Amino acid sequence: MTNTIDRRRLLATAVLGGAGIVGATALGSLVPEAAFAADPVDVEPGAVDPNFAEGRITGISGATLFVTGSDTVLHSIRVTDGTSIWKLQPTTFDRIAVGDGLYARGLRLADGTLAADAIWVDIVNVHAHLTNLGRNVMHLDHRGQPIVAHVIPGVTAAVYNGTPAVSDVSLLKVGQHVQVIGAWHPDTNEIDVATVYAAVQ
Amino acid sequence: MLQFIAALQPLVIGAVLIWSARVKLSRRQAAANASRSALAPLIGERRALPAYRVLGVVELAIGILLVLPPALAVEAAAATALAAGFTAYLYYAHTHAPDASCGCMSSRRTPVSWRGFARAGLLVVAGLFATLVPAGWPHAFATNAPAGGGLLLAELALVITLSPELDGEWLLPLRRLRARLTHPLTGGTGVPLLSTVQQLQQSPAYRQVASALTSDVREHWDEGEWRFVSQSARYRGRPAVAVFAAPLDGYQPEAVRVAVLDDATGVTVFASGSAADPPFRAYAGG
Repeated sequence: MTNTIDRRRLLATAVLGGAGIVGATALGSLVPEAAFAADPVDVEPGAVDPNFAEGRITGISGATLFVTGSDTVLHSIRVTDGTSIWKLQPTTFDRIAVGDGLYARGLRLADGTLAADAIWVDIVNVHAHLTNLGRNVMHLDHRGQPIVAHVIPGVTAAVYNGTPAVSDVSLLKVGQHVQVIGAWHPDTNEIDVATVYAAVQ
Repeated sequence: MLQFIAALQPLVIGAVLIWSARVKLSRRQAAANASRSALAPLIGERRALPAYRVLGVVELAIGILLVLPPALAVEAAAATALAAGFTAYLYYAHTHAPDASCGCMSSRRTPVSWRGFARAGLLVVAGLFATLVPAGWPHAFATNAPAGGGLLLAELALVITLSPELDGEWLLPLRRLRARLTHPLTGGTGVPLLSTVQQLQQSPAYRQVASALTSDVREHWDEGEWRFVSQSARYRGRPAVAVFAAPLDGYQPEAVRVAVLDDATGVTVFASGSAADPPFRAYAGG
C-alpha cells in the first residue's frame, strides 16, 4: 500500500513537473522482462496473429495462466509487471480466477509462451435490446437470449450518440437498442456493465 | 351510524353489478370473454355464452333494483346470494381452471387471484349488512351528504383496488410515473474512467507517445483536479511507464500532460513540453 502511494506520488510529480527527477530506489525492483527486448512480429495477412490469445483459464501457476482457446488451442500466458489487467476496470493479478475467459495481447516468446502486454478478463461485447429495467439492472434480449446486465454505480459509463462518456445511465429507455461492453460472470447469463452505448433523442 | 353505513351499501353493490353487467352484455366482447372464462369448462363451451348473458341480465336487474329506491331487504339478499355465488365460482375457477380468466368485470384476461376473492368477499359482507339493516340511501344522504359521499368513494376505491382488470387504468400509469420520476438506473455520479481515456486519446500528449505504449490502462487515481492514468511503454528498448494527467473538470484534451519514466531507474525520460527526444523517434530508432 505504501509502495503504491510512493509510486503514485513519483508518477504524479513526474507528469506535473513538480520536484523534478527522483532516484531509482523509490520505484522498487522491476526487472526487465525478456518480452520487452523482443521485436514485434509482423503478421502475414490472413495468418493467425501469434501475439494474441483468447480462451478460458484452466490453471494458474505463479505468474503464468494456462488457457484453453475456443478453438481448443492451449496457450500459456505470462503476466509481467508491465501487463495491464482489465476485469470490468483496471485491476490486479489476484482478481483473475480459474474459469475466467480472457483476451490477451503481447509478444510470443521463443518457448511458445505469450508474454502479455494487456489482458482483458471476461470481456464481452454484445448488441442487444433493452427489454426491462430494474434497480441498477438492465434486462437485455440478445438474439432471443436473455442477459441480465448489472449496472455498477461509479464504474459503469454511458456513451450517448457518440459523445464523451458520462456516468449517468438513466437516459436509457426500454425497447432501445444498446451495445454493451462488460465483464461476464463465468457460466451464467449475467454481466457487469463497463460501458453502454446508446442513441438518445 | 350502522344504519347510515348499511343504507349506502346497496349503492355500492348496485354500481359494481351494473358495471359488471355492462361488460357481460356488450356485444363485441362478450363472446370472447365467455369462452375464455372458467364458465366454459364448468358448463360446456356451447352454453357458456348464453349463461354469461343471462348472468349479465340478472346482474343488471339486481343492480338497478338496488340503486333505485325503495330499499328492500329482499333485493339485498338477492345481491348477497349472487356475490356468494361469485365466490363459489371463483373458488371453482381457482381450483379447476387456474389459467382461465375470471370474466368478472372487464374484457381483460385476468386469472383468479386473492384480489378477486377479497372483492367477492367484500360484496358478500356489504350485501349481508344491507340485508340485516335495511335502510334507504336517499334518507341517509339527506342526513349527512359529505360523510355519505366520502364513504361511497372510499368503498368504490377499495373495489377498484381489488380489481386486477382495472390495473391498466390506474396502477400502470402510476408505475410509469414512478419509473419516470425515479429512473431505476439513476445514481451514477463522477467522471467515468472511459471519459478520461477518451480525453487522453484525443490529446496531443497521447499522440506524441502513442507508438511507445504497449499496454492498456494499468492503474488510475485521482488527486485534486487531476486524474492520473498509467500505461506500460517502451523507451529506447527499455521498459518504461507512461503516466498521463488529465483534468477532471470538463473535456480539454489539450490540457492533458504526459511523462515517461524508466521502469528500472524511475528516472523521467520524457515529459510533455520538455526538450527531450520524442519517444516515438527514440522507439523507432531502437
